[in-house]
Amino acid sequence: MGINLLEALNVRVVGSGEKILVLAHGFGTDQSAWQRILPFFLPHYRIILYDLVCAGSVNPDYFDFRRYTSLDAYVDDLLNILDALRVDRCYYVGHSVSAMIGILASIRRPDLFIKLILLGASPRFLNDKNYHGGFEQGEIEKVFSAMEANYEAWVNGFAPLSVGADVPAAVQEFSRTLFNMRPDITLFVSRTVFNSDLRGVLGLVRIPCCIIQSAQDVSVPVSVAAYLKNHLGGRNTVEILHTEGHLPHLSAPNLLARVLQRALSR
Amino acid sequence: MPTPVGTARQCLTDEAARALDDAVAVARRRNHAQTTSLHAVSALLALPSSTLRDACSRARSSAYLPRLQFRALELSVGVSLDRLPTSKSVDEPPISNSLMAAIKRSQANQRRHPESFHMHQLQQQQQSSLSCVKVELKHFILSILDDPIVSRVFGEAGFGSADIKLSLLHPPSSSRFSRPRCPPLFLCNFTSGFDSDPTPLGFPFPFPGFSGSPNGDANSRRIAGILTKSERRNPLLVGICANEALRSFSDSVERNRDGVLPEELKGLKIIYLEKVLCEFLNGTGTEELMDLKFKEVGQILETCSGPGIVLGIGELKSLVDDGVSMDAVNRVVAKLTELLKFHWKKLWLIGAASGDDTYSKFLNRFPEIEKDWDLNLLPITSFMPSIEGFSSKPSLMGSFVPFGGFFTSPADFKIPLTCKSIAMTQPRCHLCNEKYEQEASAMRKGGAATSVADQHSEKLPSWLQMAELDTNKGLDTAKAKDDSTALNAKLIGLEKKWNDICLRLHQTQPCPLPVNSQLKSDNVCTDSRFVSNLKESNSRSSSLDESGYENQNLSLPVDTQNISPPRANGSISPLCGVKNADLHQKVSVSISLQLEANVPPLSRCTLPNLSVPLDNPSPSSVTSVTTDLGLGTLYAPICHEPKNSRLQDHSECVQNRPGSVSTEHDDASENSSYRRAKISSCCGLDSGGQLDPKDFKSLWGALTEKVGRQDEAICLISHTVTRCRMGNEKFRGAKPRRDVWLHFLGCDIVGKRKIAAALAEILFGSRENLIFIDLRTQGGISNPLSLVCRQDLNGYDARFRGKTVVDFIATELCKKPHSVVFLENIDSADLLAQSSLSQAIRTGKFPDSHRREISISDTIFVTTSTKNSLYRKEGTEYTEERILRAKNCQIKIIVESISGDTTRSGIDVNVLANRESEVNSTGPQEPSEFQERACKRSRKTFLDLNLPVQGIEEDCGYVSCESDSISENSEAWLEEFYEQVDEKVELKPFDFDSRAKKLMEKIMYSFRETMGSKCLLEVHPEVMGQLLAAAWLSDRMMAVEDWIDQVMCRSFVEARQKYGPAARTMIKLVACENLFVEEHAPGICLPARIVVN
Repeated sequence: MGINLLEALNVRVVGSGEKILVLAHGFGTDQSAWQRILPFFLPHYRIILYDLVCAGSVNPDYFDFRRYTSLDAYVDDLLNILDALRVDRCYYVGHSVSAMIGILASIRRPDLFIKLILLGASPRFLNDKNYHGGFEQGEIEKVFSAMEANYEAWVNGFAPLSVGADVPAAVQEFSRTLFNMRPDITLFVSRTVFNSDLRGVLGLVRIPCCIIQSAQDVSVPVSVAAYLKNHLGGRNTVEILHTEGHLPHLSAPNLLARVLQRALSR
Repeated sequence: MPTPVGTARQCLTDEAARALDDAVAVARRRNHAQTTSLHAVSALLALPSSTLRDACSRARSSAYLPRLQFRALELSVGVSLDRLPTSKSVDEPPISNSLMAAIKRSQANQRRHPESFHMHQLQQQQQSSLSCVKVELKHFILSILDDPIVSRVFGEAGFGSADIKLSLLHPPSSSRFSRPRCPPLFLCNFTSGFDSDPTPLGFPFPFPGFSGSPNGDANSRRIAGILTKSERRNPLLVGICANEALRSFSDSVERNRDGVLPEELKGLKIIYLEKVLCEFLNGTGTEELMDLKFKEVGQILETCSGPGIVLGIGELKSLVDDGVSMDAVNRVVAKLTELLKFHWKKLWLIGAASGDDTYSKFLNRFPEIEKDWDLNLLPITSFMPSIEGFSSKPSLMGSFVPFGGFFTSPADFKIPLTCKSIAMTQPRCHLCNEKYEQEASAMRKGGAATSVADQHSEKLPSWLQMAELDTNKGLDTAKAKDDSTALNAKLIGLEKKWNDICLRLHQTQPCPLPVNSQLKSDNVCTDSRFVSNLKESNSRSSSLDESGYENQNLSLPVDTQNISPPRANGSISPLCGVKNADLHQKVSVSISLQLEANVPPLSRCTLPNLSVPLDNPSPSSVTSVTTDLGLGTLYAPICHEPKNSRLQDHSECVQNRPGSVSTEHDDASENSSYRRAKISSCCGLDSGGQLDPKDFKSLWGALTEKVGRQDEAICLISHTVTRCRMGNEKFRGAKPRRDVWLHFLGCDIVGKRKIAAALAEILFGSRENLIFIDLRTQGGISNPLSLVCRQDLNGYDARFRGKTVVDFIATELCKKPHSVVFLENIDSADLLAQSSLSQAIRTGKFPDSHRREISISDTIFVTTSTKNSLYRKEGTEYTEERILRAKNCQIKIIVESISGDTTRSGIDVNVLANRESEVNSTGPQEPSEFQERACKRSRKTFLDLNLPVQGIEEDCGYVSCESDSISENSEAWLEEFYEQVDEKVELKPFDFDSRAKKLMEKIMYSFRETMGSKCLLEVHPEVMGQLLAAAWLSDRMMAVEDWIDQVMCRSFVEARQKYGPAARTMIKLVACENLFVEEHAPGICLPARIVVN
């Protein structure tokens, strides 16, 4: 189709700093999720924002069901964006699925990233023999069928659960972006995400990572943060946010921004 | 807040704005306060050639005459509008929230739809305010159709709003809405900072390299991509699914599947070295065999005409396994390197490592390997053999659906609360249809008084509901019902009735299912939940009498009769039943009917939720009691059907238990206080039948027997419980309360648990009825290794992750309303728990986090705290904290000779025993510190998933962030809470010191018995702590003493046999720090044997 990737994925570059910071949103949101975090970093960084191809703000026609069957395709997108913008070194903040994408991208191009900041990251959502990812296969299937049955109802139920903390504005915002996604894409992406298993490749990451995790998160148990810390190959730190929910950038932006600042400055 | 018309108009194109004006006019004419989606629909339908009408006529069900169906639609819109409350006339009735939301939705939708982008861009240029996308009429209508009220109205007339949407989106041919042929241009202005860049930015999208190859999984395509590279072209797959991916790739290459390999690699061969290498490495194969294989590869390569050969070396693990000789590996690697160097043009290598650790091990051994082998690491994170399973999904879901919510699938039926009225396109013959119409219009006139629907209440998040159904079915969800659904429900019921009549009377009528869309290709579904109030039921019953079909159809299942207690048995219709019954109660029976197109209607019925909440606050307030009655039962051919086993099960169940009305028919119906009262009144008999709780003495006796200590506390507890459960002390309104609130102060947390468990067992029949929650850890065991915490109480564990404590309690209470709720460390309750508890103790109803209330009329709440203890003695040696830290370690006997130590040779056993206690008393600091350290270490090695955050933080490298302190808040709340409990009971601390002394004596005695008086014994404090903890936990007084007699003595004997009864031997009893007990002695938390070293 010859459509520019940067346009298709709504890539934006803002801020007046020298250092480059990529903010990558997670599942069910789009780049607007960073809105409340942005002001803290605008003066100090050049910030690259983009939408994942599955986001509601991207033309759904671009979502190729044959291409985006694994996270690697998303990694391609990210690396292509960075290449197109001629980024040679950057900090990367990835939330949820974007954290996974960041991990994979840094394995492929370790030189490109100075540091990864993984927000609510999980290498694997399903439980395993010696691993507690937080979900059982059966539960997931139930969620999927709920999603298929009535997307709107699912969104209305899932959003507050995911946001966790009692922040109506955040719930509303997350519901909005989640609802903007086309249901079949949402379902497909969640299947992709739940199908992914990064546990075998974490050790290939060589760059330092900072794992930021809410103390209570329906999607990611706190133990996963420790797992990441122990298994990622670089020098890692863990920051536990004393807040609830999978989306601290929506529900507790100030707190998160402080932690991010700290993580970026180290 | 309704929106002014002007504001709303700004969001619309001229065409859509005109439609809105019409809607406003309709609202004004009818003197309605707001303009809603219904008005818009009415206005849109009013025009003879409107888009909506057009779409409707194409989406129309073929079962009806078009004229008739449109009339039905108009009628149902009209009736719905009639039901809106009128107010004083407003010039421009403002836009209701729901309609405004529809406009907003269409804006968002339009922004996403490419064909509207031209428009969007234009507007952006014209008026810099980006927020305003002008909504086209089509999108406006689409969003309005999403409005549940609207889709219900359409549904009543037999239109599926999904069908209408479809026909709106896919106009027959050259309508003005046809898609533009050319792909839209994205003009998003990407400029900032990169303007000066001369080279064109960006990539073609999606990337052409792969998009042309629909077959093969993504992993294989990536592997092929690496093979085509000029350097780093030998893929090494890393990841949990690496081997599967490798296999799948080899498979597709072997089978020459299209689309995996690019054109230039067509004809590539794979040679597997895996087997040969493995055999060589583990010694079963010889080097010659391997050499032969390598030679063979070389020969093939010489003669090979195709692009070349890929060597599959399989799992890398075989090269780094510990058992493999380094030498062999070195040789294999060298050979492979050589081969690759020699034939680099035509030879590839592919391998897999299931974990990064394998790879890094390999890399450690051969640091240059990445270069030597020209490896390219490929992280494999998922494995999907093919994407066919997925590609069908999207097509089913349909990209034409801008907003979900109407995918009909069987999953819908599991959600009894979604008041979705999907179009019921039941075929009826003309005669029946007319009769139906008559009745329907009569009913509509009758029902006009009902108030307007609040659309939110019916849109309960079904996702949540579903989750709840799994876990806490019992919550009374019937409250969420909406008056406004009544008429709709009645109409559906009526329609169903006529459908059935038609089916039965006019059997010859074929059953063509008018299904227009693919979406509903198989199922015609009805998922409805009917509620009506008594008044309406009455009127309907009379109308049904007239119709003359009542006798034929209104045979009511008898079980329903039985469920509503005050009714006499017999074959009266439910209406009469309700009328005759003394209406103190609210009876609501909701039935979800499930239809499938291929079987005759109503042949499969389930009753997922039968609830009989009977709430009767006081006789004086009866005047305004409404009776909710399920329409489904009114019209009940269900009972004729053989398959409704559940229903019958219920009825049997109910009938089998005369006297206990409505007891066990379903967990879901447990919210009836009536029921609970009933159960509790006979609970002495019901639950085990041992005891009458009213009898103070028997309770006291039983408790004392089960707990075995804390006599004073038990006396007070028995007294309080008896007093409260007699029900003659506390009153809430006119009703006596039977819930008991106890607060245990002081030490002895094990004793507290024991008392609570004993209460559950004595009063409610089983320990299962103890709901145990430690509020301090909330979802975690504080120290997973601790002996005391190991007690598997029926707790709040990882399964309830994501649930608040309050919800957990509520769920459990629903399941087991008569139980003891045991809340340890009440001082750590969070705010939510605090407010729930406060409300519960005040009102007798426990609210969950959704503010749904669960009656606690037969629950005993026991809270504990260790603060403010009067009994805190100074100078005790074994404190409770110390015992709590005791771990479940294996105990070991170490025998040491003390020959060299002349000064000690004369010391006899007694002295050493004293010395031992001396060590304990003088240096308690040291061991406890040691234990602390041990705790920390164990935390590190055993990362427990339930470990509270604090535990992790203590570890290095973790940084904690500030948290809100709620302590002051808690103090005040606690004081208030303590004021309200029925009794505060102070428990005395367990006397560990004297117990320790006794145990020591016992050990010494047994020791001397077996070893004689010449040997010395040293008992390490950890072991003593373990013994004390066991004694503390044990139900029997002498359990530890028995253990000493059996287990320890046996070990002393064993030690003597091993080392002989030599004098000057020091026997040490120590705990093995890292070895945990695998096998316990029966009935006690101590090891079944002691290791003798």
